Amino acid sequence: MKRGAIVLIVIAAVLIAVPLVIRNEFYINLASQILIYALLAVSLNLLLGYGGMVSLGHASFLGLTAYATILFFTWGAGHFTAAILAIVFSTLCGALFGVLALRATGIGFLMITLALGQIVWGIAYRANMLTDGDNGLRFPARPSPFGIDIASAPKFYWFTLIVFALALFVIWRLTQSPFGAALQGARDQPRRMRMLGHNVWLIQWFAFVLAAFWGSVAGLLYVYYNLFISPHAISLQQSAEVLLMAILGGASTFTGPIVGAIIITLVKNLVSSYVDRWNTLLGAIFVIVILFMPFGLVPGVKQLWARWQRPAKKVTVAAPDKPECAP
Amino acid sequence: MTPALEVSRLNKRFGGLPATREVSLTVMPGERRLIIGPNGAGKTTLFNLITGDLTPDAGSVKLFGQELLKIPTQQRVHLGLARTYQILTLFPKETLTHNVVLALLGLDKMRWNVWTMLGRQSQLYDAAREALALVGLGDVAHRTVTETSYGERRRLEMAMALAQKPKVLLLDEPLAGLSQEERGQVRELLTKVPRDVTIVMIEHDMDSALAFAERITLLHYGEVIVEGTRAEVVADPRTKEVYLGE
Repeated sequence: MKRGAIVLIVIAAVLIAVPLVIRNEFYINLASQILIYALLAVSLNLLLGYGGMVSLGHASFLGLTAYATILFFTWGAGHFTAAILAIVFSTLCGALFGVLALRATGIGFLMITLALGQIVWGIAYRANMLTDGDNGLRFPARPSPFGIDIASAPKFYWFTLIVFALALFVIWRLTQSPFGAALQGARDQPRRMRMLGHNVWLIQWFAFVLAAFWGSVAGLLYVYYNLFISPHAISLQQSAEVLLMAILGGASTFTGPIVGAIIITLVKNLVSSYVDRWNTLLGAIFVIVILFMPFGLVPGVKQLWARWQRPAKKVTVAAPDKPECAP
Repeated sequence: MTPALEVSRLNKRFGGLPATREVSLTVMPGERRLIIGPNGAGKTTLFNLITGDLTPDAGSVKLFGQELLKIPTQQRVHLGLARTYQILTLFPKETLTHNVVLALLGLDKMRWNVWTMLGRQSQLYDAAREALALVGLGDVAHRTVTETSYGERRRLEMAMALAQKPKVLLLDEPLAGLSQEERGQVRELLTKVPRDVTIVMIEHDMDSALAFAERITLLHYGEVIVEGTRAEVVADPRTKEVYLGE
């Protein structure tokens, strides 16, 4: 615990110091982007890793919030009201989507979330009156929460970092909570969970709503960051990418999706300026990681670490299913 | 007196195969009922119908006078029904304690809490360890299920059901696959279960089961063939014919 606390303080210090060390605005913005996608991936992992539900429509909550924020704002709501209304709207959509998707499990669930995501994308693309179709919508300016200006890249980064840290802490508490235990139980033995008095459907639906809520928070950050939303941001590829982040980093861990978000966002933004075929590179990374670390990077590295620590003994680490204690 | 469990004219077909035919069964509070019958007689199906894992085609199941068939499994559990599984249905990567904690959470409103640290709920963990100690697993409570023997897992099944302090406990072959010594332990454990718990047990091991049972129901091809006290059922020629052999 003590070592964990030190590690946490060091990570926090490094994260806070990023804009002070890196003066280049491009990289500071990249760091903000990573945090936003990391939050989206962590929220998706509530379903994927903890709930055992593979969703291919998670980017739709990012889009629903982003579009709703802009629309409520242009219809005359203040920044704060627009943000709250947008998150409430998107989470309610999540509640409805959850009802529809949870009529099925496994592949059926995946296909319904895919379809719902495509419907949201389709509306964004086709409802020109509302969304201006392929052109997307612009957001005039970043808000000033509590009178603090967050327009500049470093300030926006710190703002994002605060939201990210709070969100992460609340989600981490969830994973350690009785509900978190019930969610994982429902993933592993739904039949037994019912026989123990747990309402498996309601557990999974509640998890879906919570995942939608945190995805919506990421969506709010997204629209504040880009000051723009277009159907591209909520395409199937985006949903799949978020899913890949979680799987690449390790869906069975709390921190895995964050690691995955870092790698994928970096490859997308950095490598793409040098290599045309960055998608191929991403694919190669994915294949290599999954080949050698089938449970993702974080569990894989942990396993290597354990082996390195005790080289004499043969260490066999079973498929890690329990999230570690600290983010 | 209201029966603890009242099954009436229950029917279930799997395609053309009738698994349960007009089964009626009345178990009084505190009773120890044994259900016997050859393989495929529909014993486990009967349990699945009572718990709601399966939906019957016709009939009724009442727990202390309340109809169960219209309510989902988890609500039946909240009314005081608990069961163990013939095929172990546990959380293999978790500790024994955590398995029982999940059982306790099932009846605790706290299961919806997304903020409290489960690990700090010492009253839950104490209760879980107590339940494990009761079945003789106190020393291995911290192990994960994968590190335990088959016999220990069977007893964990019992601990999870008993921890819920059920009114009616359905035991599906609790002695299956156990060594002589372990059978003795489970038998002793069963005698320790307080009388306010009604027990219905499916069991093949006649030596252990007969001593335990007060009344016995014999199922054959999904039908109740014989029912009565231990002596009556054992003496009945149909029992010998169907179940005990010549």
